[in-house]
Amino acid sequence: MGEMEQLRKEAESLKDQISAARKAVHDVTLPEIVSGTAVVGRVQLKTRKTLRGHLAKIYAMHWGTDSKLCVSASQDGKLIVWDSYTTNKVHAIPLKSSWVMTCAYAPSGNMVACGGLDNMCSIYNLKGKDGNVKVMRELAAHTGYLSCCRFLNDSEIITSSGDCTCALWDIETGTQKTIFSGHMGDCMSLAVSHDFNMFISGACDYTAKLWDIREGACRQTFGGHESDINAIGFFPNGNAVLTGSDDGTCKMYDLRADQELITYQDPSIMCGVTSLAPSLSGRLILAGYDDFNCNIWDSLKAERVGVLAGHDNRVSCIGVTPDGMAACTGSWDSFLKIWN
Amino acid sequence: MALDVLGINLSISTMDEMDLPQMKNEVESLKYQLAFKREKSSKTVNDLVKWIEDCIHEDPFLNPELMKNNPWVEKGKCAIL
Repeated sequence: MGEMEQLRKEAESLKDQISAARKAVHDVTLPEIVSGTAVVGRVQLKTRKTLRGHLAKIYAMHWGTDSKLCVSASQDGKLIVWDSYTTNKVHAIPLKSSWVMTCAYAPSGNMVACGGLDNMCSIYNLKGKDGNVKVMRELAAHTGYLSCCRFLNDSEIITSSGDCTCALWDIETGTQKTIFSGHMGDCMSLAVSHDFNMFISGACDYTAKLWDIREGACRQTFGGHESDINAIGFFPNGNAVLTGSDDGTCKMYDLRADQELITYQDPSIMCGVTSLAPSLSGRLILAGYDDFNCNIWDSLKAERVGVLAGHDNRVSCIGVTPDGMAACTGSWDSFLKIWN
Repeated sequence: MALDVLGINLSISTMDEMDLPQMKNEVESLKYQLAFKREKSSKTVNDLVKWIEDCIHEDPFLNPELMKNNPWVEKGKCAIL
């Protein structure tokens, strides 16, 4: 038997063992546990602000830790930092490449980052001495588009790429400290755990992977989706993962039992999920879809309890403030809306 | 042909695309993933549900009390006559 064939058999055997280990701990289902729980009442969130200024499709947005400022990226070639209370533009940053797919706000508020079809992650210093926002670093090494990026702190950032890898970068030196390989398809999205020790990635191989940042290894892999995973997020308590896919469904995976908990789907939904964000308690999941709307799901009962309707094109991104007070949606219609 | 329902849904055709070094890495990764200490769903699901229930009263989208001071709503000085 050739070495490849031997490895293939070993891989299949390991997958069977993982499957068996998951079955062994599967002694209840979420629907069973919440069978006596009532669905939450209808949730009606209103548009409180519309952020106008981008001239083309918005691809990404990210809240700052103060729950007031946020950054958005559009293929008009701009990153805009907004004061969401007043709708004023704090910074309007022209980009070298207009093909931007992601943006991120550093937890400190000192920097923002973006990237896209230029295969690079560009870091901008918002607190430069002369008041001008300048490119601080261009992180180049990925051989595919930059789909997502998230800061760990002012010196480290994690990126996901169409080259099927994710990477941890040292911003100061501009080099990759760790490369996270394993996905067999474009990595589309990532989210970092609250303790900054782990991150999750969703990819076009239909799986989500949990990575240990310092060990550089994949701890767990979650399947079940029938198409690309476009959106991913941690459940607020850090013990579950939420995914949104082109198959039109969202799923929640239990990290501690290492398996799928529940699927959020409806036969009337025939388009992909582009983005998602949980509410502060995790009881609600806001999910943006290709059909211009955002559905609000009761995470325990898997029923739709509300809709955010108001955009004239695909909802490409959504984020809930760290304090849980508002949600922001960004759309291909070039507007961002603040809801609560 | 899908390999598994409860977890890893990598089809045989995906593994076909791997070269030797990738396959070796995949096997090493699977060994590491197998070693994970899984907890019983009866514990983890109950903990999750309890955590949510404990936090609901702090969730501004579910507790209208918390939205009384809404920073995105102007406290105007106009009155509608």
